[in-house]
Formats: sequence, structure tokens, C-alpha cells
Amino acid sequence: MSLAIEMKGITKFFASTHVQANDHVDFSVESGEVHALVGENGAGKTTLMNILYGLIRPDSGEIFIDSQKVDINHPDDAIKHGIGMVHQHFKLVPSFTVAENILLGMEPTQTGFLNQQKENMLVDQVARKYNLLVDPSARIQDLPVGMQQRVEILKVLQRNAKILVLDEPTAVLTPQEVNELITVIRGLSKLSYTIIFITHKLIEVMSVADRVSVMRGGRMIGTKKVSETSIPELARMMVGREVLLRVKKKDIERGDVVLEAKDISVVAVNGLPAISHVSFQVHQGEIVAIAGVSGNGQTELVEAISGMNSLDGGEIIFKGKPVNQASVGERRNMGMAHIPEDRMVVGLNLQTTLDENLIVSRYDHSEFSRYGFLLIKTIQEFAEKVVKAFSISAARPGESISMLSGGNLQKVVVGRELSGNPSFVIANQPTRGLDVGSIEFVHKTLIEERDKGAGVLLVSVELDEVMALADRILVLYRGKIQGELDAATATEEQVGILMAGGTLDDLEMAETKAGSRPIER
Amino acid sequence: MEGFFSVFTVELLNSGIRLATPILLAALGGALCNQAGVLNLALESKMLLGAFVGILAAFYLGNSYVGLLVAMAAGGLLGLLFAFLYHKYKVDLVILAIAFNLIIVELTVFVMRALFGNVGSWSDPSIVRIPDIQIPILHDIPFIGPILSGYNIIVYFSWLVTIAMFIFLYKMRGGRHLRAVGENKSAAETVGINAVLLQTLALVISGALAGLGGAFLSIGHLKLFTRNMSNGRGWIAIAAAMFGVNHPIGVFLASLFFGFADAFSVRIQNVTDLPPNLVKLLPNVATLLVLIIIALRSKIALSMARRRFRSQLRADEAARPAETSL
Amino acid sequence: MTQNRLLKLLDTIMVPVLAMISGLIVMGILIILIKKPLFESYAILFSTGFGCEKYGNCIFITALERATPLIFTGLSAVVAFRSGMFSIGQEGQYLVGAVAAAWLGYVIHLPPILHPLLLMLAAMLAGAAYGWIPGILRVKLGVNELLATIMLNSIAALVTEHLVQFPMRADKSTTAHSPVIDKTAYLTSFVPGSNWGMGFVIAVIAVIVVLLYLWRTKAGYEQRMAGQSKLFALYGGIPSDKSAIRAMLISGALAGLAGAVEVMGVHHRIMTGFSTGLGFDGLTAAILGQIHPIGVFIVAILFSGLKLGAQLGLQLQLEIPRELGGTIIGFIILFVAAGKLYEDSIVRVRNWFARRNSHSLKG
Repeated sequence: MSLAIEMKGITKFFASTHVQANDHVDFSVESGEVHALVGENGAGKTTLMNILYGLIRPDSGEIFIDSQKVDINHPDDAIKHGIGMVHQHFKLVPSFTVAENILLGMEPTQTGFLNQQKENMLVDQVARKYNLLVDPSARIQDLPVGMQQRVEILKVLQRNAKILVLDEPTAVLTPQEVNELITVIRGLSKLSYTIIFITHKLIEVMSVADRVSVMRGGRMIGTKKVSETSIPELARMMVGREVLLRVKKKDIERGDVVLEAKDISVVAVNGLPAISHVSFQVHQGEIVAIAGVSGNGQTELVEAISGMNSLDGGEIIFKGKPVNQASVGERRNMGMAHIPEDRMVVGLNLQTTLDENLIVSRYDHSEFSRYGFLLIKTIQEFAEKVVKAFSISAARPGESISMLSGGNLQKVVVGRELSGNPSFVIANQPTRGLDVGSIEFVHKTLIEERDKGAGVLLVSVELDEVMALADRILVLYRGKIQGELDAATATEEQVGILMAGGTLDDLEMAETKAGSRPIER
Repeated sequence: MEGFFSVFTVELLNSGIRLATPILLAALGGALCNQAGVLNLALESKMLLGAFVGILAAFYLGNSYVGLLVAMAAGGLLGLLFAFLYHKYKVDLVILAIAFNLIIVELTVFVMRALFGNVGSWSDPSIVRIPDIQIPILHDIPFIGPILSGYNIIVYFSWLVTIAMFIFLYKMRGGRHLRAVGENKSAAETVGINAVLLQTLALVISGALAGLGGAFLSIGHLKLFTRNMSNGRGWIAIAAAMFGVNHPIGVFLASLFFGFADAFSVRIQNVTDLPPNLVKLLPNVATLLVLIIIALRSKIALSMARRRFRSQLRADEAARPAETSL
Repeated sequence: MTQNRLLKLLDTIMVPVLAMISGLIVMGILIILIKKPLFESYAILFSTGFGCEKYGNCIFITALERATPLIFTGLSAVVAFRSGMFSIGQEGQYLVGAVAAAWLGYVIHLPPILHPLLLMLAAMLAGAAYGWIPGILRVKLGVNELLATIMLNSIAALVTEHLVQFPMRADKSTTAHSPVIDKTAYLTSFVPGSNWGMGFVIAVIAVIVVLLYLWRTKAGYEQRMAGQSKLFALYGGIPSDKSAIRAMLISGALAGLAGAVEVMGVHHRIMTGFSTGLGFDGLTAAILGQIHPIGVFIVAILFSGLKLGAQLGLQLQLEIPRELGGTIIGFIILFVAAGKLYEDSIVRVRNWFARRNSHSLKG
């Protein structure tokens, strides 16, 4: 049982985004095994693999291949050591054929002239060898995604890779294509290839991997044999927090329905359904949490409700009025607020001042502008008020916000969104990347809004957060509502099972048996 | 109307091909850069530099053909400088082009005036114009002969470059690598292709070609140099590259289109009342239309894809029985 | 001014200033190469372009007048760039405006004040319409506005040339030109013998208007946000598309106004070869002026002063080819664009400031 790969003490800090992507990470993979590397977005898994593949240099740490210390400074070095990587965003040239892509950079030629016939034959051979059949003369842009991925895998195998790294391989595949990929991986494993795949889809981990390593916040949390763990345990390792936060929540009567999603569907850019026939309601004075591992449609759901993207089916009714055709601005004017997932790129404009960031949703209201002109004085006073009310340190009206900490930036977003007394608030991963104090602040504020009578839709991958804040919990899995639980009686275990694709029946089964058990698939 | 048709002579074709040549050379270079993913808007400056340096070299070295080579070298060097500034300092391509265009327009006249006194244009009787070549057997073939024979060497060279570029881009490994860089730089770099080198090569070659195109104007045609003698041909070349969708054959035809429009517009003045400037308008409007069509095509493809998947979604739902979870 | 704002201002002008110094150094090198007196050249360049001669003939006045169309086209570029549209169509929009003004200048007859006002309005409408085209093409069809404006510039130049040579041709003289506009349409000049007058005043007004528009109005706010972060604008509810089109309309109008002012204040008609690249010059002024109205104003005057200083000073007095002026301006743009060259110096200055601050805190 030799180690194909051993990474020791890998550390990487990105100055441009102030992120410790890898923090003394140890990672090892045995020869011939299928090893899953899991973690939430931003956990550091892609960075770790990019370091292995030579795309990034680590600040410190060592890499051993087959117990030999190696220096990997460039993908060429990685390839020389038999490592091949299939990236999440395919590195394919759309207008070129399959053969042209597979042989890119290593075309067979003596004189510099190309021989398409020869290339097609070569590719045919390789495809047959691994039983990954493709049409060498088809253009990449005409192929379905699953086939394109096959081309990427062949590209890697063609270069004599013995270790394959697949980055989020199932993110863009249909269920059918996922099954095909699993077959391919199993086949390659039997041929003694070592396969590492990065994912956050735990169901696939359980069905094909031998071992799984979990990363969180740049650190390696632990490695387990798949046969000795369960989805809920992995989910807990992926998204759990060291510090358990409990916020006091009082019982209040909820009011009328403020937002209703009726049978809504959204198709993603790759043509697959991101959200399928989802229905739910949010009442005034309640926090409804959409739980689920990320990548199950949360982004598309929030975009549809906020108006940033259009629906492909169904209806959204806000305060009793159908708003399918309403723009983002119109929905905001009706009382909808939105704390976005990405505060730096979406929620804020870091190139401008605090005031200009604070008025983006209401600059055309009579309080801030008249006859087309902005009321600068009023805006500045408003900015001062918000800074004080939300204790945003180092922020001053008229000055840039680009240097503020993550917590303070989020306070600017929250301050802006909540200062208009909204009747409905979408909070999408509102505490991602924040320190403990800021997390507490956000939680406190969201509960205050709920107590004031607003309806809050909390979308979160953090189980703790969901359990602490929600009145009702809906679990999103593969674009559908997998189940609904009453927060007062729900257990983390139950939520975990739903998050992994289980159903309410499975919940009952689990309840009647003593202790928890992984669901057989 | 009779006058209108009298314009269509062999002489018109000859003139059109000659007028197209500088455009063709620069446009081929521009297309090569576009294929490599670097937008080269500085063709005007390279052309002008070639025109100036070429005729100076022809004068000082006593040989016009050497002048052509020097023009190509100068253009190539300018292209190298362009590539260096772009890759090392990440200068914006458009601003870089504007700066180069401005500098060369003014600097060439500055040097001309510094060398030869306060003149508006410069020439010298000792400079030999590049002579026209009559190809022996070809010349005598009826109809085709006069159209294909009788041009100077630069014209024939431009035809050769067209074919060579076609072969390079689509039949040779280097060309395929270059196209890969232009279409998906990271895909190319991941397999070890040196994108910076290929883009730099494209810029140098396009500089050399544009420089030759400029020399055609000074040594091959007018036998003089004057301020801004390229007169916007560099920009026309950019349009020709766009119109020919960066394919050597397309660029060849596009350049002919522009060249003929030019030749046509001059002759039509004497014969009919058709406005010459509007004739020259045709290829420009056509290029704008090409831009619009290309954009429309991708927009339609996108919306059709979305519509297709929406109906697929509905069809799936109708066909499928109650969902069973995995 | 607070320490912070001073620092910010210094940050913005640091690169242009360093670029200008570098440009002047290049000028020095060229002057030495052609064996002309170095320091005298600098002295004459600046005293001529920006000063007045003994007998009261201020060339600086001419510099201001020559700067006028640059200010307009520069402002046009500023508005376009700050909405996220990389349009270089000032050249074409300028011509369209000039044609409109020149035509209405002799076809319609109105009393003074009214006549120029009408011409300016017409030119702005014409320019706006021509700016609208690349705007709508980009918003609705995704056509690259850079490429589109390049083509539209060519088209405008050809059509203008045609109009001057045929439909609008005044007489059979060798250089074709349109009829001279009515005297009532002239823009008054303040100094006899020069064309500097109302045109410059209108330019100054335009600078103030654009300044107010961008930073004090709803519409200006919208386009700046949309230009800086499309996602943020979408998320916040800003109508980006409408705002981009509005910006192109304003940008086109400003460039068109440049054409009108040139016709009414200087040439009083259009002639063959009317466009001498004023659109592009304004664009360069915008780039050097850090895409800011006041920057455009200052740079436009500097450019014109430099060019005139080269033309009337260096050429006339030292027999240095006047193209030196244009060459140096080109180099300055190059140096501004390659701003990273100066990164080291900038970092050093910033550190110096930081150390001063910390000292005062401890002090």
C-alpha cells in the first residue's frame, strides 16, 4: 500500500484577496485508490490541487510522488510525474475537433505539417484502449458536456498520466452522465490508476470513492474510509463550526404570506434544470431556511426570487402580487431586500465610496434625490446614521470602502439592506467568511428583522446557522425541495439525511432504528 | 448608363488589385494577430513607418529592394516593441495602438524635416520605383493574362503570403497552436504552448507585413514620402480583417473589395454622376453589417438554446412518472 | 484638504505627471540628436505656447481656442468610458455634428443668438443619434462597440467628404467646401484676430455640466455604478442598459457639439479634409486626464499649448520641425499607458507619506 502522493505542510496565502487558502495541509493518496477531496466552496481544495499540478507555487510545504520528493513548478513538471488534471472549466478549444484537442501540444509531425487522418486514428486507438469511445472528428462545441469531459480525460490519459485529478467532475453532468462517469472511474481504478476527485457532492463520494478527505477553511479536517463514515458525518465535517453559536429566539406569531414560490423552475446556463418545480411560502415574522450542500440550486433560486434572473416555469408572488415580470428595482421598491452571497463582487462596488454603496437600491427615492439630482447632504447624513447604527468601524462617508474588513463590509451590506424597513429579506450565505463577532451580529440582526415582522428567507450551507435561526427548514437537493422540517423538532441528523438526498421516509426509518445509519444506495 | 459600364475594364481590375495590396498585407497581419487573440490596432503606425524607412533606405543604400527589406524589419521591430510593452507592462492594447499611431505619424515627419529641411513631402530622383513584372507565358493568355501579370513583386508576394498564411494556420502545427491561444489561452497554456511567444510572433509578423504594405505606397507606387501617407489604410486593413473573419482567403477577398471600391470610385467620377465617396462607403457598411451578423448569430444561438431546454424541461415533466429518489 | 484627499489626488495625478516629465525628457533627447540648443528649446516651447509676446499677441489665447474642440471630444470620451462603453466614436460623431451645423448655418436664416443656439442643438441631436447607434448595437445585440465605432468613424468621414464635394459644395474652387454660414450663426470671438471666444466659454460650461452630471445626478450615478460593476448594478436594481444608451447619447452629443463649435467659431463652413483627428485627440486627452472632466480640461490646454509652442516657437525660432510637439504627446500617452513603469516611484512616495503620518501620530 504505497503512497502515490504525499503532500506535507502545504501553506498558501493569497494577498490579493487576503485569504489563507491552505493552512499547513497534509494530504496523502494511496496508489490505485479513488480518493475524494471534499469541502465547501472556498475550503481550499482547488488550491491544493492546483499546487499539486504546478499551476500555483505554495508558500511552504513538500510534495512526494511515489515516496520521492519532487519540485513541481509548472504543469509540465506535474505531467512528467504522471499527474493529469481535468479542470472544472474545461480547457478545450471549442472550434477544434476532439482529436485536435486531445493531441494539442503533442501533434504527431516531422515537418510541422499536420496529418488529420493520422491524428484521428491515434485518438481512436486511445479511446478504444480505455473504452472511452469518442468521435475524433466531432467539434467540441457540438458535443454534450459529458462527452467533452470524456475528451478531457482522454487528453490526460494520452499524456501518460497515472494519477488523475478531477475537479468537480459532476458539476455540469446530467444524472445519466454522472453514472457513466462513475463507471469510467471504476474502470480506471481497476487498471491501477490513482484517481483524486474534488467535489462537494457527497452522494457521489459514497458511491465511488475508497477514502475521503475533508477540508474546511483552508485546513484539512480529516480523512476517512468511505466504508467507515456516513453522509451526515461528512456534511458535519464540511460545514460544521468550531464554535457553536446559539442566539436567543423568542416565539412569535407569524403573519400573512409575504412571498410565495409556486412551482418555480429555472434552467441553468448549461441547459440542465437548476431548480425544478419548487414551491414554498414565507410568512411575515418567520425565518424560513433553505438548507443544503451548495450547488443544489441555491444560487438560481435566489436569482429568481430577487429578479436577477428570469423564471423558466412557475410564478413568484410577492405581497399578493405576481412579480415574474418585475425588475430587481421594482421588487426592491415593493419591500424586498437581498443580502447576497458574494459581498465583494455583487453586494458592493469596492471602487467607490461608502455613500454611493449605501444608496444603490434607493437612490431614486424622494428622500435621496429630487429633480434628477442627488441630495448629497442627506445621503451623507444617512451614511453616518448607518455607520453608527451598525457600528461599522473605519467607514466614513465620502471615503472608499475597499480597505474594510470582511465583517465591516458585510455590515455595510446589511446596514443598507435593512435600513429601508423591508418586508422580506433574502439572506444568502450571510456569514460566509466572517469572524465570530460579525457572525453573531448578523444573526442578531436577522432575528430582529423577523421579530419586527419581516419575512426572512435564509439560504445557508451551515447546519448550525440553519438550526439556530430557522423557524422552518426546507432542504434543497438537486433543485428540488427534498423535505420540510419544523425547526423546533428537527435534529441535525434529519437535516443531514435530507441534504444528502434522503427522503422523509428514510427519516422515519432512521428514527425507528437505534442510532444513525448511512442510507444504502 | 453606357458610361457606367465603360468603367469595367482590365485597367480597373489592375488598379483594384494594386490598391488592394497594401491593405491586404496589413490585413493579413491583423488577422493573424486576431487569430492569436491580440487585437492589433496599430497597423497604421507600422505601415507608415515602413513607408518612411523603406524609402529612406532605398535612397541611402541605393537599392529599392533592400528598402523593402528594411521596411519589413522596421515594421517587425515596432511589432516587437508593441508585444514587449503589452506583455511586460500590461498596457491596454487600444491605448497602446493610439499612442503608436500618433507617435509614428508625427515622428516620421519630424525626422523627414530634420533630415531634408522644412518640406511637406520628400522624394529624390535617384530612387528607383519597384518595377512591374511581366510573367512570360502567363502574360499572353487572353483575358486572364493581363489581369494576373504585370504587377510588381510586392503584389505577387502578398498573394504568396495569403496562401502561406492559410497553410500555416490550418495545415501546420504552429498555426494550430496559435489559433488555440487565440480561442482559449488557458487551454493552450495548460498543454505547454507558449502563448506569449506566439502572440509576440504574430505581432512581429504583422508589423513586417504592414511595413511592407507601407513601403509599397512609397517605393512601389508614389516614389515619395509625405505626412500621413498611409491615410487611414491601416484602419481599412483592420476592417478588412474583420470582414474576412480573420481567414486568409476571406481577408484576401475583403481587401479586394476595398481595393476595387477605391479604384471604382476614382474612375466613376469621370464617367457618371455616381458619387465616388459613396462607392467607397460600400465595403465599410458591409463590414459593419458583418459585425452585426456575427453578434446576432451568437445571440440567436443562445436564446434558441434556452428555449430548447425550456421545452425539454416541460416534455420531461410530462413524460416522467412520479419522481423516485436515488 | 484633508490628508486623505490630498493623498488620493496625488495618487491620481502621479502617473500623468511622471509621464509628462518622461515625455519632456524624450523631447530633450530628440533635440540633442538634431543638434539644437536644449534649454533654449524648453524655454521657447513653454513661453510661446503658454505665454504672451511683447506686442500683446498672446499665443496662449490660441492654445485655449485650439483646446476647445479637444475639451468637448474629451468630455465625450469621459462620459462613454465611465458607463463601461469603450467607444472611440468621437471622430464620427464630431463630423456628424459639424455637418448638421454647417448645413443649417446657410440653409436656415435666423437672428443672432437664436441661430447659433439652433445649430448647437441640431449638432448635439445629430451627434447623439450617431452615438446611439453603437450603443443600441452593443446593448441589444452584443456588438463590440470598439469595432463598431471604428467602422462608424470611417462611414461618417466618407459621407462627410461626399457631402462637401457634391450636395453641399459651394463653388467650383479646387478645395471643396460648403457655403459659408450666415454671420448670425458665428460665435463671437473675444480677441480680434483670434478665434477664441464663445466657443471656449461653452466648453468651460460643458466641463462643469459633465462634472455635475456624473457626480451629482441620478443618471450620472447610475452609469458610473454600471460602468464600474455590472453585477452590483444588476443586484441593486440599476437599469444598466438604459443607462449605457443614455451615456452614448450624451457622449455623441458632446462630440457633435465639438463639431458645431468648430464650424461656428473657427471655419464657418466645412471643407474637404475637415476632420483632422480632433476626435482622437480628445480621446487621448481623456486618457491622460484620468477620465475626469477637469483632467480633460487641463490636459487639452496643455496639449494645445505644447503643439503651438512647437509650431510657432520651436519651428519658427529654432527651425525645429513642429511635429516634435505631436511626437511628445504621443510618448506621453505611451508612458501613461505603461503606468506600471512608475510603480516603484509611486510606492516610494506613498511610503514616505505613511512614515510622515505615523511620525505625527507618535509625535
